[in-house]
Amino acid sequence: MTTAVATRAPLARQLRSELRWILRRPRTVIGLGLLCVVPVLAGVGLWFAVDNAGGPAGPGLAAIIAGNGLVLPIFTLFLSLPLLLPLVGAIWAADGLAGEANSGTLRGLMVAPVGRIRLLGVKAFGIATMSLFAVTLMAFVGTITGIALFGMDGMLTISGTTLSVGAAVGRIVLTILLVTFQMWAVAAVALAISACTEHPLVVMAATMAGLIVFAVLGAFSSLDWLQPYLITSAWDGLADVMRDPLPTEGLWNSTALAACYLVIGLSLAAIRLVTKDG
Amino acid sequence: MNRRKVTVAVAAAGVVAGVAGLGVLAMPAGAGPAPALPQVDAQSLVESVLTAKPAAFGGTVDVNNSLGIPTIAGIPQLSDGASQIRMWTDGEGRARVSMPSGSSERTIVDDGETLWTWNSETQTVTKAPHGDAEPDAKPELGLGLGQDGKPLDPLSLARDVVGEVEKTSTVTVDGTARVANRSAYELVLTPKPTERTVLREVRIAVDSELRIPLRVAVLTNGTDEAAVQVGFSEITVGAQDAGLFRFTPSASAKVEEKKAEEPSEQDKAEAEKVFGQVAPQVVGDGWDSVIVAKLPADQLTGLQAPADEPGRSDRPRRGGADQTDPQALLKQLGKQVSGSWGNGTLISSKIGNVLLADDGRIALGAVPEQVLTEAIGQLK
Repeated sequence: MTTAVATRAPLARQLRSELRWILRRPRTVIGLGLLCVVPVLAGVGLWFAVDNAGGPAGPGLAAIIAGNGLVLPIFTLFLSLPLLLPLVGAIWAADGLAGEANSGTLRGLMVAPVGRIRLLGVKAFGIATMSLFAVTLMAFVGTITGIALFGMDGMLTISGTTLSVGAAVGRIVLTILLVTFQMWAVAAVALAISACTEHPLVVMAATMAGLIVFAVLGAFSSLDWLQPYLITSAWDGLADVMRDPLPTEGLWNSTALAACYLVIGLSLAAIRLVTKDG
Repeated sequence: MNRRKVTVAVAAAGVVAGVAGLGVLAMPAGAGPAPALPQVDAQSLVESVLTAKPAAFGGTVDVNNSLGIPTIAGIPQLSDGASQIRMWTDGEGRARVSMPSGSSERTIVDDGETLWTWNSETQTVTKAPHGDAEPDAKPELGLGLGQDGKPLDPLSLARDVVGEVEKTSTVTVDGTARVANRSAYELVLTPKPTERTVLREVRIAVDSELRIPLRVAVLTNGTDEAAVQVGFSEITVGAQDAGLFRFTPSASAKVEEKKAEEPSEQDKAEAEKVFGQVAPQVVGDGWDSVIVAKLPADQLTGLQAPADEPGRSDRPRRGGADQTDPQALLKQLGKQVSGSWGNGTLISSKIGNVLLADDGRIALGAVPEQVLTEAIGQLK
């Protein structure tokens, strides 16, 4: 027993090495770089829209962007949530297990004296940290771009009130956390798929196809009863972070929904990983 | 080996828990058991509602609408489906109402002196001075209190109202209910059997303590599901943050000012003119009252103009291409009907019908088609 403990690598080192593995992949760096471009592109696009139209730059949050730069990070995150961020999460989930299985390195990890649940934990930690990092990075670039293009004078909410800069930063941080959590839920399901296959492409395709099917199902009014089960249907409601006073009920609901998906995804991944041979 | 089994069992339990969680989240919140409250008779309950002092509270109102009327863009609260309204009031005439819609919102703030209206879609603020007619808080149920400037004794007014309502309806207290975690009496208004209406009953849940309506449901014949239900899903009684009742337009918003005096006179004159031409009458009383009116044929196109712009229908119109447009739209919305009274279009919703005759006569009421055609026949 003592020898088994002694040969176990310290958890912190495992986590660090997992992060290093993810960051070392060129596609991760390129992906993060492209994510940084999104807020800049969105900002420039909206800037032209505001300049030309004179009226509102677009529907929803875009309508209040004029002179309200701090809305840009939130706008960009909501813009990226339906496809871009899940895609990035799915890539990391695909690399985590299916990718390692594909290159033959997963077998080594499975026979190593490292618990399989711990292996899953390390992989999940890597994806979770990277998701948080990616979302924070986007919000940061969005904030800088927004202030540069539209200026900053507190934050105008869609309720028509103006928040102080401190409160505005609070709303941006809240958005980062909410969006990251939704991303975790998608990535957890992707991780479960990743545990079942050796082909990273299958993981990405299955995750994205699932999201698209969810979006399609959500569009039929005859399938209204299905709506509360679909993780995608809660995403529109996240715009509540821009209301004042902040309505928390819908935000808790969407977070609880994501938590269910997260638990299901991680549990399925654990079952598959534990019962896997060798 | 054993440890693997335990892990699989725990993980399987995790899957079950997650799926169960989804089920719980999707389930509508239960109302909880009906509270035990002291007996109250219908008449004194209605009186207490009509004489209740306005209270300070804030809350969320759920609107469940299945009227079957066409969607109104930007205001989901008036369209079919579920939507929410958030409202706060300090009980002294100041109030804030938010109507969220997707990722936009309309907010109305009444700070006691000015009525601010914000629409995030257009980033505009409308500022209107508080009219003289409104300040003493709209009496509950929208009953005209002291219309002619005559201060009425609230209790005797309440008695009058109850008496009037009881002529055509049966008013009962049908047990208690729990609404937004508050105990309430269920007041039920049922039309007398002689009333020819499509409505079955109107249920009003009255807060047992504050005596304000917490939930109103309109039920129609032949279905258990309410055609419209408007009720609090969450309410906090007590003083509200004073900041809610102030509104400062942001620097980037367009502010439109509406002056009360001069244009309103003009509007009033125009409205009166239109009103005089149209001359609406009420046929019948109680639940089967039908409002009938006759629009001059050249104003038929004005039907599609928003109701708050009475001046628009005054604009001279020549029967051109734009005249056919609203007519065609009407024909799409309703079905063609004809009878001894003439021909027209019938637009139906669950709680009532509107009959538009081709010659400009209009009849509307919470009644079946037959009653409408009888009423429209009386208008020459």
